[in-house]
Amino acid sequence: MVKLMDRLDKRLKDDAGLIRADISPEMQERIRASISSTYPIDQELQRPETRGVSLWLSSSLTGLAAAALVIVLVNWKTTVEPLEETSPTPSQTILSIPTGFPLSAETAELTIPLEEELRNLQSDLEKARENVERDLKMSF
Amino acid sequence: MATEEQLIASAQAGSAAAFSQLVEIYQERLLRFLLVRCRSRADAEDVIQDTFINAYRYIQSYKPRWKFSTWLFRIALRNASKIGQLDEVSDEHVQADDSDPLEACIIASERENLWLVSRRILSTEAYSAMWLRYVEDMPVKDIAHALGKPVSWTKVTLMRSRRRLSNELAGEADATANGEAYG
Repeated sequence: MVKLMDRLDKRLKDDAGLIRADISPEMQERIRASISSTYPIDQELQRPETRGVSLWLSSSLTGLAAAALVIVLVNWKTTVEPLEETSPTPSQTILSIPTGFPLSAETAELTIPLEEELRNLQSDLEKARENVERDLKMSF
Repeated sequence: MATEEQLIASAQAGSAAAFSQLVEIYQERLLRFLLVRCRSRADAEDVIQDTFINAYRYIQSYKPRWKFSTWLFRIALRNASKIGQLDEVSDEHVQADDSDPLEACIIASERENLWLVSRRILSTEAYSAMWLRYVEDMPVKDIAHALGKPVSWTKVTLMRSRRRLSNELAGEADATANGEAYG
């Protein structure tokens, strides 16, 4: 296998040499004429990254200038009132209670039923005591 | 006699004469490679002309990180693929030349040229990778750069192409042996 590969390498090289590639005088003249009418392009002119950086820089500066202009225009002739100085802790607590407010409140009569109940119980108790006294008198 | 690096430096400084010397060094190598990439010799000559024009135009963008040959073959491959796309578009309208430019350029031999076999059984990119590896002796990294492909793809393609070609070669050897036996 190695022998075959070696033979292949050698034949590739040898067979390439069997290809005639003579440059005719006409062809040589053509190449010479085309080169003499061509000029190398200046590397500085064909460098795209230089244009890219300058473009980026100029667009950034334009953007910044536009932003600054907008800020100036928005804030033009706008008076800013100074903020009142306030102490961090309240120095005085002011509670304003309105005086002279007409108070006409009435007490709720929530105890009336209970008082009446108490009276009924007391009368019941009195009746019960009288009954007991009467019974005692009868037995003794 | 100036070295290749000196010629490149002079060409980068604007010397057309120095670049012409570089053209002389590489034109045959490039043409030999392009003859098998293109459909006709005329196409190959157009591609080689465009390649040298582009190389000279953008000579200042060449960085010695890559070999000059790698850079040049990369440009040639791009131009060849453009021509190939144009050929595909114009195929319906233009009658293609039946004669094979490669076959016409190959010196007559008893056996079939292996590059003809390669072109028949391999894809265009695999063929180019094989050429750059075995004829131009380019490292795999340079081949990948020239083809604009990942290194891993290049390695796998070279390995598979080599295996296919060796199988073809083994088959050819068997056929020859059988022929001799029966002959």
